[in-house]
Amino acid sequence: MRSRFAVVLSAIAIGAFGLAACGGSDNSSSTSAGTTPAKQNVTLTMWTMPNSPDPKGDLQGLIAPFTKQTGIKVNVQVVGWDVQLDRIRNAAVSGTGPDVTQAGTTQVPFFAALGGFSDLNGKVSQVGGSSGYNPAIWNTTKLSGTNGTWALPWFTEARAIYYRSDVLKKAGLDPATAFKDWDTFRQSLLTIKQKVPSIGGKPIAPFGQPGAKAFDLVHDMMPFVWAAGGSELSSDNKTSTINSPQAEQGVKFMTQLIQDGTFDKSQLERDGTQVENQFKGGHLAVWIGGPWVLGSVKRASDDTWSSAARSNVGVAPLPAGPTGKAFTFLGGSDLMVLKSSKHQDAAWQLLKYMASDRVQQAYANLLGMFPAKASAQKQYGAQTANLKEFLTAVEDGRTYAPIPQWAQVENAYKGSFGEILTNAAGGNVSDAELQKQLDDAAKQADGLLAQSTG
Amino acid sequence: MSIETLQPPPAGGDATAELLPAAAPRRRRRRTLRSHRLAYRLILPAAVFMVIVHLLPTLGGVVISFKNLNTFTFAKLFGAPWNGLENYRAILFDSANPLHSGFVDALRNSAIYTTTVVAGILVGGLGIALLMNRQMRGIRVIRTLMLTPWIVPSFVVASLWGFMWQSDVGIINKVLVDYTHVLGHRPVWLIGDNSIWAIVIPSIWRGLPFAMLIFLAGLQAVPRELHEAAAIDGAGPWQRFTRITLPLLRPLIAIQLLFNVIYATYQYAIPVVMMGTNPGPKADLMMTLIIRQSFSNNLFGFGSAASVLLMLAMGVWVAIWYRAFRRDLELAT
Repeated sequence: MRSRFAVVLSAIAIGAFGLAACGGSDNSSSTSAGTTPAKQNVTLTMWTMPNSPDPKGDLQGLIAPFTKQTGIKVNVQVVGWDVQLDRIRNAAVSGTGPDVTQAGTTQVPFFAALGGFSDLNGKVSQVGGSSGYNPAIWNTTKLSGTNGTWALPWFTEARAIYYRSDVLKKAGLDPATAFKDWDTFRQSLLTIKQKVPSIGGKPIAPFGQPGAKAFDLVHDMMPFVWAAGGSELSSDNKTSTINSPQAEQGVKFMTQLIQDGTFDKSQLERDGTQVENQFKGGHLAVWIGGPWVLGSVKRASDDTWSSAARSNVGVAPLPAGPTGKAFTFLGGSDLMVLKSSKHQDAAWQLLKYMASDRVQQAYANLLGMFPAKASAQKQYGAQTANLKEFLTAVEDGRTYAPIPQWAQVENAYKGSFGEILTNAAGGNVSDAELQKQLDDAAKQADGLLAQSTG
Repeated sequence: MSIETLQPPPAGGDATAELLPAAAPRRRRRRTLRSHRLAYRLILPAAVFMVIVHLLPTLGGVVISFKNLNTFTFAKLFGAPWNGLENYRAILFDSANPLHSGFVDALRNSAIYTTTVVAGILVGGLGIALLMNRQMRGIRVIRTLMLTPWIVPSFVVASLWGFMWQSDVGIINKVLVDYTHVLGHRPVWLIGDNSIWAIVIPSIWRGLPFAMLIFLAGLQAVPRELHEAAAIDGAGPWQRFTRITLPLLRPLIAIQLLFNVIYATYQYAIPVVMMGTNPGPKADLMMTLIIRQSFSNNLFGFGSAASVLLMLAMGVWVAIWYRAFRRDLELAT
């Protein structure tokens, strides 16, 4: 009774504390209906984030055949990305929440560490288990230090280079070699700057990426750190290695582009979506982005595309670094089952349905993302030349260490990367400043990694 | 804190009670209790509600500030291990702790932000009110127009200004550089050193109309005879402003000072909408820091300790304010 009172009190305290942060978030109760265990009468509640243009309708359409087949109804609830962390965390701790929830791949270890989610270890062999997925993607279902499988990969995104084929043609560059490695990448941008200051009477900048305002800044920067031989953490995940010489070299590559004048500095003031729209609107010749942009090319209702940009989109994998290897960040979302769900079997059936090749492909098509399952990825990537390039990127993909503190470490890195780019835009590109910022990030990360239960 | 101004008028029976000084005060209290029974009953739900949504969470926050509540202990909530004063020590004195430098940055930024915003709002609001306090054609329309920034929600203010501040295509640099040539280069506003001004200026812009409205009401209540008499005695406009207008507006200045300082210190929406959850070391305010560390980084112990410190600071501010303006409030009633 006392502990129950404490939980209620805590919920009130945390809830009120949270109201300031996410004013107006809808905290409607979402316990599963249907009390009888009979399979035909089950209604699952599923939390999903706004993945596609009509998140609820698209998903319900996808699930309709499942309900017809099994009788299991699914109540889809859309939870915004701005509040999902708080809500899933609170659901996991309080035991009142949905049966199944979507979670960002980098969030899975944290949620799993809270203890409110079911271990799917005994079941995943039904969908191919670890051998059915790219190892980097399967890594996102794990929690370092446990043997459990805490999630099932749902869909995948990767970063690749987007370029304007008309600009490259005008600059006399061959897309097949222009972005092969760091040197050619840097040189190609300089050539574009020199030869194609404008196209179709409209000025165009060679390259642009968001800076401190991008929530996914670390995903944009880490591929360069990896390509230089650096890493985010030591192999035992105990200390940060973001201030290693290799990591510094990776980050420096970006500041060099700013110094070259090929990286349009004003993009650093924008967030990810705004810069994406700059590329779509024809203001940038080269940009690094996710597969959803390719998906939006054919969507006529997406009027952020200028006609010139829409008809000249090309994709290439990220350039190889000094190590000779190229990497990209693999993100996306997984599905997790809450331990508090009274319908564990029905929830697993839903996950299994979502992992079938046909459904994986259908949903990926709706989202413009990649399927998470290897077999579905191969089929999906075979559709067009640009998707084929993306598939190469996905296969070069890497994910972060599955530790509960990752999201916080990422925040620390994001702050420093943002400052480094901001300083570079202001003309300060000294190695000492770069090292200072990365040392700061490492110090913060070490503090976060040292958190304990004591 | 404005207890003096909010005291209810004396109850009707008080006059007779004063005629009987020997009458036991307890009886009087009981009678007041009885006669106000309905009022107390009506207030009760609100009081219970306030305890649940205000008092208990505040106490919860204070308790958490002494706990080691982080990623690993979050599931235990109030069962998390005690941490003594460690959270406070780390924030205030531990220069090796990165949270300390973040706190110092945010404290400095919040101080700059609060001082400039409150000064801007009060001085600007009074200035505009003086300009508006005259009879001329179209003054009603102008006054209504002046109020528009006030009815725009903070989120909209921040997104609008976010577009306007963009260094390459934003209207502000267009005006400063392209149209008027006031500046030779395009300053960057949304990141780096200028970013604090990118949040200060929209905040003043949004706060001005309300201050203007209050001051205008105050100015219109100043008896014209005072000004006329002073003018006859040879007082110039500046003297009349400093000797008549300002002293009469003191209670209004006091109230606005109180509310604006608290409001500015607790500002969150404008920096976050304009610059994201981490506005960078030059524009990170106390609230953005606390919310980011608590809810994104799960450092609830740190967040609660910083919140408690901020709350104490506000308590000190209110106490200072009360001492400074107590007499004005008494005069105003």
